[in-house]
Amino acid sequence: MPYVIASACIDVMDKSCIEECPVDCIYEGERKLYVNPKECIDCGACEPVCPVEAITQDRRVPDDDTDFVEDNRRFFVEVLPGRDSPLGAPGGSHKTGAIGVDTPMVAER
Amino acid sequence: MTTVETDLLVVGAGPVGLYGAYYAGVRGLRTAVVDSLAQVGGQVSAMYPEKQLLDVAGFPTVSGRALVQGLVEQAAAYAPTYLLGQEAQTLDRIPGAVGGADRLVVRTSAGTEVVTGAVVITGGIGTFTPRPLPAGEAHLGRGLEYFVPSVASYAGQDVVVVGGGDSAVDWALMLSPVARSVTLVHRREQFRAHPGSLEALRRLPVEVVTNAQVVTTAGEVGLEQVGVRVAEETTERTLPCQRLVAALGFTANLGPMREWGLTLHDNRHLVVDQAMRTNLPGVYGAGDIVDYDGKVRLIAVGFGEVATAVNNAAVHLDPSAQLFPGHSTDGPLVTAPTPDRQPV
Repeated sequence: MPYVIASACIDVMDKSCIEECPVDCIYEGERKLYVNPKECIDCGACEPVCPVEAITQDRRVPDDDTDFVEDNRRFFVEVLPGRDSPLGAPGGSHKTGAIGVDTPMVAER
Repeated sequence: MTTVETDLLVVGAGPVGLYGAYYAGVRGLRTAVVDSLAQVGGQVSAMYPEKQLLDVAGFPTVSGRALVQGLVEQAAAYAPTYLLGQEAQTLDRIPGAVGGADRLVVRTSAGTEVVTGAVVITGGIGTFTPRPLPAGEAHLGRGLEYFVPSVASYAGQDVVVVGGGDSAVDWALMLSPVARSVTLVHRREQFRAHPGSLEALRRLPVEVVTNAQVVTTAGEVGLEQVGVRVAEETTERTLPCQRLVAALGFTANLGPMREWGLTLHDNRHLVVDQAMRTNLPGVYGAGDIVDYDGKVRLIAVGFGEVATAVNNAAVHLDPSAQLFPGHSTDGPLVTAPTPDRQPV
């Protein structure tokens, strides 16, 4: 059900979406932002403010970007490089600050 | 400190909480409803009052605002006590005498103490906090506000409203007829507000400044003027302004409820059973805040859950009562005792 940030965000990271998100569920990697699917409430506030139109609902992601649905989830459920445990649902990106690393899929692009 | 004695406390005045207040009335329970926001309607009123909802049973289409108004009217027949603009902060238990039920005590940020037999938590995504306007924090309460408490107090004032959503545009529309001047400042070119509201705005003498931000506030005691930086302008604009309304949206957080001893899932949802009981006796949950296997987070589901929660709470309060409340068509038509409406 959540919104998903796809390839257009890589190396842009405008962060307008972070300012709009009412539940603070958009987390900052090194070169891309990620929506936490466990925390997103599907309100859609982020979508219109993205200057590169990187954000869509998970069921409307363009065909060539569908990998990012799973990759957004992986950012939170898998152990990211240099970390000991998965991020999980920390309850807000203001609490964690920038995470500073990307998923392997994003890092390779 | 104010003390409110009640049978049932609903925590969260969103659509599901309001419908719970109605059902508690049907069960003959004295009911109080607490919400951290100054208005009822929760997320719907705060974030999308003008959105058309297409999935509420019996309404092919209904605006968020109209749905909330209808729910308030429906509950008004039983005159619930609204405790708005105060956050439920602590939950304590007074053990009952042998064989008697416990009493629960909820204290709010306004110092209200609610003594109740049962609690139904319909807190959605938690406590809403207005997103701050950092440049104006020094004048908070002395000109800067995050809500419009009463339109009349803006008479003859120069008002600057900041934001691009429905709240910002609605407040500009409301204040324009009474204020001396209204300026709407928005960080972007495009507004997110309802097109109909934007059309109405064009017909009023509201000055709209886009691609702009309020960057300074000035005034010895009360606010006197604000500095506005507009993209691609070299000098900052200075506007006379005694009242600055920031409508920059909200952030939500489960907040102090985390300390109530409730079993949580993913640190944000209350775990409930099929009777909507949480792990704490006398405390129930319904709507977006609850979780169980197969949960679907829709308003339609929340309405059903809260009817289940309230009817089970009624039996908790009076074990001799039947779980089934009877049909709404059984009794005489109940109408509102007063024509007062809660502001929506």
